[in-house]
Amino acid sequence: MEPLIHVHDLCKDYRLTDRREGVRGGLRDLVSPRRRDLRAVDRVSFDIAPGEMVGYIGANGAGKSTTIKMLTGILTPSAGEITVGGMVPWRQRQQYTRHIGVVFGQRTQLWWDLAVVESFRLLKKIYEVDDATYDRQMKLLDELLDIGKLLSQPVRKLSLGQRMRCDLAAALLHQPRVLFLDEPTIGLDVVAKENIRGFLRGVQEREGVTVILTTHDLGDIEQLCRRVIIIDQGRVHFDGELAELRRRVGQSVRLSVDLRDPAASADLAAVTAGLPVHWDDENGLRHVARFNRAEVRAADVIRLVVNDRPVQDLHLAEQPIEEVVREIYRQAAAGNADAEAAK
Amino acid sequence: MTEGMTATARLAPWRRSPVASLGLYGHFIRLAFLKFLAYRLRYYTGVVSYTIFVAGHYYLYLALYAGRAAEGLGATVGGLTVREMITYVAISWIGRSLYFNNISRDLARMVTEGEIAMHLIKPFHLQSVMMAEAVGEAGFRLIMFTIPIMLVVVPVFHVGAPAGAAALLWTLVSFALSLVIYSQLSFLVGCLAFAMKNIQGVLRAQMVGMDFLTGVIVPFTFFPLWFQSAVNWLPFQCISYVPVMIYLGKRTGPALVEGILLQVAWAVGLTIAARLVWRYSTRRVTVQGG
Repeated sequence: MEPLIHVHDLCKDYRLTDRREGVRGGLRDLVSPRRRDLRAVDRVSFDIAPGEMVGYIGANGAGKSTTIKMLTGILTPSAGEITVGGMVPWRQRQQYTRHIGVVFGQRTQLWWDLAVVESFRLLKKIYEVDDATYDRQMKLLDELLDIGKLLSQPVRKLSLGQRMRCDLAAALLHQPRVLFLDEPTIGLDVVAKENIRGFLRGVQEREGVTVILTTHDLGDIEQLCRRVIIIDQGRVHFDGELAELRRRVGQSVRLSVDLRDPAASADLAAVTAGLPVHWDDENGLRHVARFNRAEVRAADVIRLVVNDRPVQDLHLAEQPIEEVVREIYRQAAAGNADAEAAK
Repeated sequence: MTEGMTATARLAPWRRSPVASLGLYGHFIRLAFLKFLAYRLRYYTGVVSYTIFVAGHYYLYLALYAGRAAEGLGATVGGLTVREMITYVAISWIGRSLYFNNISRDLARMVTEGEIAMHLIKPFHLQSVMMAEAVGEAGFRLIMFTIPIMLVVVPVFHVGAPAGAAALLWTLVSFALSLVIYSQLSFLVGCLAFAMKNIQGVLRAQMVGMDFLTGVIVPFTFFPLWFQSAVNWLPFQCISYVPVMIYLGKRTGPALVEGILLQVAWAVGLTIAARLVWRYSTRRVTVQGG
């Protein structure tokens, strides 16, 4: 099938000015500033088929937001090509943006001074949504995101979670073919995150919209995306199925358990015998269990441990995305070294 | 089958019709009007400060003309009588209260804070949006700001009547063109924020420089001839000097037509220049935080 999004050898350089030290250095900077190019995105290539939902992940400064900004037509690439549905985003910006929806978690696209509903009326005109579609979409988006009672409020009075729901609705009002989500769950509490994930799953299944999602939160990816692209230092380090990523990275969940009485890791391993759980002893009282969410349910581990012995405290955490990226990166480096050795 | 699949991977060409454009940008005009109406309290103090500006000039010029009369140097300075001079000052400031806006500052803020990204992802042209908002703001200013200032300044300082009904009409047309010239110029200055890390100095220079070069602070007829012929080549005189001279009846007949045409030329020229600079700037934009 012809890809909807085609990215080939995409690069973006930023020009930085380095400052010299001291007064003399400062004066020299005036005459001949030291400039260097920073390559934020380095020969990135991928194709995305219509209806795919792809997680685009990486650490801070890895180049993911820069890629999204080029895909949405905000930034012009330094080199390489992007076409989305046959259009070049930065060159055909006006007609291209008619077909896309964008949510930047850190910013709002609603008009700050206006009531939410005024923003929607304006978006209706901007995207030329006809009355019938507008009414239908507003009704649907209200059902899914529960924005009805927020409509009369000014945007600046909304909480972060409320604002995010309104922003998502704003990005979908004109039924875009492609949806770009940059950190859509950033700063939200667990319940709000779950609501938004559920909503996105529904939209993607029902309307077949193509979604690119960047996030720091592995939970977003696990619940939404089948395909993951990992970028680090501007380069693609992994592009494949989430299951494959899981297999490569291994244990992604860590449960720390504070016991009342000291014990050895082997004792705890015996408690969870039969489950692929790896136990580490931190100080006799605190033990960390690592396991893969796909294979083991955290609830089972917790139940087994709590039934077996007195527990003071429990803490469940996802492996941070930085670690996943580092792991992939390490594997890639090791792979290269092996290849070198084979020669 | 393959045909159908191919079709789904294409985005349909799209273009906003002129009628739809009018509707959209008209909507922006209305929203800007309503937005400023919500903040109208701010403008009540403005009426006082504009009156003080005019009062300052009023007493300054009274003293100047009285001093010259005492030394027998004649009743006109730079071709204007004391009454015309006071009218010049008052109409200049009344006009400024109408066409003034903060496009450069707002655009610069959007660029430095990265908010510009949220406008670049929308199928409209920000230059047109900001121009429409300037029109909406001017509508608000006319009703809530310019007219109140007139009601205070005109009787208090005995401001002269326009040179006739036609002069009044052309003054209004001329100030409408001032709004376009001022706004496009301001948009151009705001675009500098794409290239500069800190644009505050430029914005301040623009504020002071515009009032000086438009002739609001001192009429051009006070300056040496070389200066007068130099400003003739700049757009600034079209913002205030031209409409005020029409009001005073100093520009009539061919000079009036020439003045208006000059304004139209600058309005069109600056709009095109701003569009080109915008295009150039956005294509090499680096958005903060990414």
